[in-house]
Amino acid sequence: MKSFELVQPATLEAALETLPAARDTKARDSVKLLAGGQDLLGELKEHLVAPDTLVNLKRIPGLDRIEHGADGSLTLGALVTLARIENERAIRERFTLLAEAAGAVASVQIRNQGTLGGNLCQRPRCWYYRHEQAVCIKKGGSECFAYGGLNKYNAILGGGPSYIVHPSDVAPALVALDAQAVIRGKRGERRVPLEQFFTLPSEGSVLRENVLTSEEILTHIVVPAPGAGSWRSTYLKFRERGSYDFALSAVALRLSLDAGKVREARLVLGAVAPIPWRCEKAETALVGRKLDAETCEFISRLALEGAEPLEHNGYKIPLTQGMITKALRKLAN
Amino acid sequence: MSDPQSTPGAQGAERNVFSRRSLFRGAGAFAAGGLVADAARAAATPTSTRLAGVVELELEINGAKQKVSVEPRTTLLNALRNHCTPPLTGAKVVCDRGSCGACTVHLDGQPVYSCMTLAADAVGRKVTTVEGLAKEGELTEVQRALCEHDGSMCGFCTPGFVMSITACLERKPGATLDEIKHACAGNLCRCGTYPHVFEAALAAGRALRAKGGK
Amino acid sequence: MSLDPRTTLAQQDEPPRPAAPGKKWVKSVRVQNGIDTEVWEEVDIDSGASGPSWGARKDLRLLNHDLPRVDAPDKVTGRAVYTHDVRVPGMAFAQVLRCPHPWAKIVRIDLEPAKKLPGVLGAVVLESEEVKWVGRPVVAVAADTPEHAEDGVRAVVVEYEVQRFAITPAQSQAPDAPKIAGNRDNVRVHETEGELADAEKALAECDAVVEGTWRVPVQHHACLETHGVVVDYRGGDSATVYASTQGTFTINSDAARKLKLKGSQVVAVVEHMGGGFGGKFGMGLEGDAACKLSLELKRPVHMLFDRASEFLAAGNRAGGVHVLKAGAKKSGELHAFIANVERHGGVGGGSNQKQPYIYRPATSHTQVKSVLTNTDSSRAMRAPGHPQMSFAMEGLMDDLAYAIGMDPLEFRIRNVPDNRRTDYERQLRQCAELIGWNSHPHRTAPNRSNDELKVGIGFALSTWGGGGGPECKVEVRLLPDGSVEVLSGTQDLGTGTRTYVAAIVAEELGLELNQVTARIGRSSYGAANASGGSTTTASLAPAVKHAAWNARKALFQHVGTLLGVKPENLRIAGGRIEDSTNPESNWIGFKDACAAVGGQGISAQGEWQRELASNGVGGAQAAKVQVDTLTGEIQVLHMVGVQDCGLVMNRIATRSQLNGGMIQALSYGLFEERVVDPDLGIVLNANFEDYKIAGCKEIGLMQPVLDDGDERNGVIGMSEPAVVPGQSAIANAIMNACGARLREMPLTCDKLLMALRGAKRG
Repeated sequence: MKSFELVQPATLEAALETLPAARDTKARDSVKLLAGGQDLLGELKEHLVAPDTLVNLKRIPGLDRIEHGADGSLTLGALVTLARIENERAIRERFTLLAEAAGAVASVQIRNQGTLGGNLCQRPRCWYYRHEQAVCIKKGGSECFAYGGLNKYNAILGGGPSYIVHPSDVAPALVALDAQAVIRGKRGERRVPLEQFFTLPSEGSVLRENVLTSEEILTHIVVPAPGAGSWRSTYLKFRERGSYDFALSAVALRLSLDAGKVREARLVLGAVAPIPWRCEKAETALVGRKLDAETCEFISRLALEGAEPLEHNGYKIPLTQGMITKALRKLAN
Repeated sequence: MSDPQSTPGAQGAERNVFSRRSLFRGAGAFAAGGLVADAARAAATPTSTRLAGVVELELEINGAKQKVSVEPRTTLLNALRNHCTPPLTGAKVVCDRGSCGACTVHLDGQPVYSCMTLAADAVGRKVTTVEGLAKEGELTEVQRALCEHDGSMCGFCTPGFVMSITACLERKPGATLDEIKHACAGNLCRCGTYPHVFEAALAAGRALRAKGGK
Repeated sequence: MSLDPRTTLAQQDEPPRPAAPGKKWVKSVRVQNGIDTEVWEEVDIDSGASGPSWGARKDLRLLNHDLPRVDAPDKVTGRAVYTHDVRVPGMAFAQVLRCPHPWAKIVRIDLEPAKKLPGVLGAVVLESEEVKWVGRPVVAVAADTPEHAEDGVRAVVVEYEVQRFAITPAQSQAPDAPKIAGNRDNVRVHETEGELADAEKALAECDAVVEGTWRVPVQHHACLETHGVVVDYRGGDSATVYASTQGTFTINSDAARKLKLKGSQVVAVVEHMGGGFGGKFGMGLEGDAACKLSLELKRPVHMLFDRASEFLAAGNRAGGVHVLKAGAKKSGELHAFIANVERHGGVGGGSNQKQPYIYRPATSHTQVKSVLTNTDSSRAMRAPGHPQMSFAMEGLMDDLAYAIGMDPLEFRIRNVPDNRRTDYERQLRQCAELIGWNSHPHRTAPNRSNDELKVGIGFALSTWGGGGGPECKVEVRLLPDGSVEVLSGTQDLGTGTRTYVAAIVAEELGLELNQVTARIGRSSYGAANASGGSTTTASLAPAVKHAAWNARKALFQHVGTLLGVKPENLRIAGGRIEDSTNPESNWIGFKDACAAVGGQGISAQGEWQRELASNGVGGAQAAKVQVDTLTGEIQVLHMVGVQDCGLVMNRIATRSQLNGGMIQALSYGLFEERVVDPDLGIVLNANFEDYKIAGCKEIGLMQPVLDDGDERNGVIGMSEPAVVPGQSAIANAIMNACGARLREMPLTCDKLLMALRGAKRG
């Protein structure tokens, strides 16, 4: 890791002061935000980033707060650790899939330090992206090496010109919860539905995975109250190595049932696309259906419609279909 | 190495002032950089600080305060192994990327990867390493059980497992086999000691419960 | 390692010549370069008649029992000092710069930018001409901290002239492939055995013929402690070299040469070491780098590979392709067998992978060739060649058994070598019993039901030499205060060497384990062999026993005089030496006896005793696997290993070894694979995130069983065979569970899903 200066601001304003202007393309990579550090330190050690300055957000009061609103909403500071989300009873009961997703991240040690904000803003795990010598399209090169290379872990949906998958576990869960991202910049605050926070490589900058600019800080996530009806939810993650792994495929499913039939649903896939992949067609199709074998079959096929596997990741289609089936069955019971 | 002293940014009227110009000076420009970050003081009066070059940090390790001269980039793992007196080499450098657990220490009682923690981030927190568990040479129940159940072969992963199991059983002495596996899922062993490690952890849990844990 | 001059390769079934008077020929197994070879040895007919003996198993107090490791308290408290942990005054930390190209000529190296940096103390060139494999260290830099060493490494400027390369075996077999080893072909045929025409004729006589191509990836040793040394040299005429090595004595003379010292001026120290698995012999590139730096700086240098270097430049287990075709008769006879084997050993050739493994077909034809590529050379790795051979051969055996509708267990028993049948049958049947095979509903054909979750069981066998040789010199000291120490230069890789060394002495002297201090891991102690091929215990234990026996004899001489008893009438037990004819009143405490010896006490030497060792080990393993056909998830629920190994020194440590073998095989089978991009020539998973090894949740019920049906009273090593069959048993269990034969490791969900899908479509 290259030597850097560690700035430890005591207020959000002081932190924002340290950030270079987004339009300053030269300077913008010279400062990086440090939260739990569980991804950033890896990036620094691999020399994927080499900032002159790290801005440590851990000493800013309030960013690590969990607040349950009177209206049933949930506000999570970006510095809340994954372990706290995993273990807080009220979250486990009311936002089950979020607790499950946080608990599915890596290992105890990482969840104890890794933060919500860090998890949402973590960079891709693509082999090529993580290899210093492979100057791929995500690092300013001209090519996605995975596209014609070894792409077992890459995207089957939404790919091009980069074929990374978004590695976050909590992101699909939060999108399924209709969460909003609260972003602070030098000129104030903006709120973005989390679904729009993440950007496809073909829409936003291929160098980034979300709408954050270098002069902004993701400060909070707001999860609205679940709304009327009897909601249930789950996050299922498939790991190649069960102990500890990034997902090969993941399903965040949330639905409300009315007399055994689906009233409303959210189905978001993880690890199959460069963003948490919302399956709106499948969500709509679920409405009014019973959660039986036929529905599982139908919905899991519909959700993967349009998938375009690369040479080595065709398995992700049946795998993800299987995971969707398991999630639907789980919520049926 | 220069004497530790406060950087201009941490003093008086200039506190909280971060100018672009100063940020983009190379780290070397802060040749005199460094300050002792004091958690208590920081909590009392929120102060923005900056660390550059070689800095002196005060860490609380195994109940004793110790000053170490490190860089902002120095990990807690390297600080323990290379900058403490005597060197605390129980935590091992294995993957150096938060993938194997051999460097596990407790920060305020919670297991973390010390290779993925900056030493500067441990300031104001209680660091416990494997060397700090046995009080006056008396092995803990976890350590004793690992000895009895042949829970280490080459032993390079052992300190990490000791820390993970200890944290797990402190929280829940009645942890089941599955809970122990879950608590240790971030620790890797290459010799394949896992089955004996699990037996040891279960035995240690029983011993702790017999001693009056829950 | 060279063969004992008294031996000769046992290529024929008969000894090479009649035995000399007073001698006889015995056949034993030796491991050379990791390959077990049968040799004829001419030995004394009556040797050992008056020497030490292990005694009857039932009489043993310590050996063959569960013994806590004497160094366990050090390991659980972090006190154990590994090479990584050595800290000596003035020590510099070093790291290497690796060549990023698979093949390049070095045009220019500029160390100056590194040398100018703060904290950097020195830099040396390790290779200045040509690099033929990706990741080869080129430059080493030493600095006051690891952080500064890394700065230095990155500041070094190396200009390369990049060459065309061949990363995959397919690339290096292309017509226009660059020649990796000078003018020699990239493909070398090593051996061809048996006539192809005969084997083909035999195939035509079979009731069932199966064929397939089995592919085995390159595996890494992935020792948790990386390769490395601390060279403590400060100028002058002596040096201490701390090394993470499997051979204390592979270090000192090598280091001396590099430091321009005499062998006698260098002491090698291996107090504890964090895993070797066959990959840690000699000084290596890391040792070379440390010596160069230390020589230049005249200060101690800590040079331990970082994890990426460990993956890229510290060896691996060769991959391979095994194209097999074989036929069986309905009777269960393995009748015909044809194998074409390719070894993938990088710039080296790869180790032995000759088929058929263990089983003996009536007629066979085998061809073995190696294919060179621009990747790090393979090295010995725990049972070199065997796991690869096993994966293909055991898969073929199950396929054949199912093809003739026979229980694969019975098919195995039918086709193992005649002289091993009794042992293998006993071991297989015990595995079957413990894993639940006898009540399993799918014993002669895989489960073809449409169930979503399916459970299957598979088996596989192992074989190894594990014998010892006359390389160890051991000293046992009885000090005047009654304390006892045993000294040997040998190393403990984590197998428990230190513990059984102490236990053997304690057993012989009637003491408790904690009354004996074992000092090992230092080349100033007696010579010892390197730990390769599971030869440590069978070489060392007899020498320790001999030294302890000599110490006891010497003590009895003194005590005999003291008590007025003939030494042969003395016995030792429970901390006292007594007159066996009058034990109640004529005795002396051990401590008093030592004091009575006077002077410096007793120092006794020991050497290898053939009669105390044996060789040739085998085992069977079984795996029970659950397959989720919806997701392709493969879960190993249960593994059983039944392993023979003669007289066991420490039962719990041996069970640990057997567990470890099974778990490494599970990890190899399910996860491990070096991934290299064929076009870019870069290794994509040189870290523990992407090179996956089994963790806690992969471990189901593990049952290591030491086969007490093996009644040989000699010591044999068993670490290697333990690692051989696990992945094969798992692949067979998957086949048994769902009818999908995965012939390419690792056995991952993507392959299973695609195989199941193909089967559905078909």
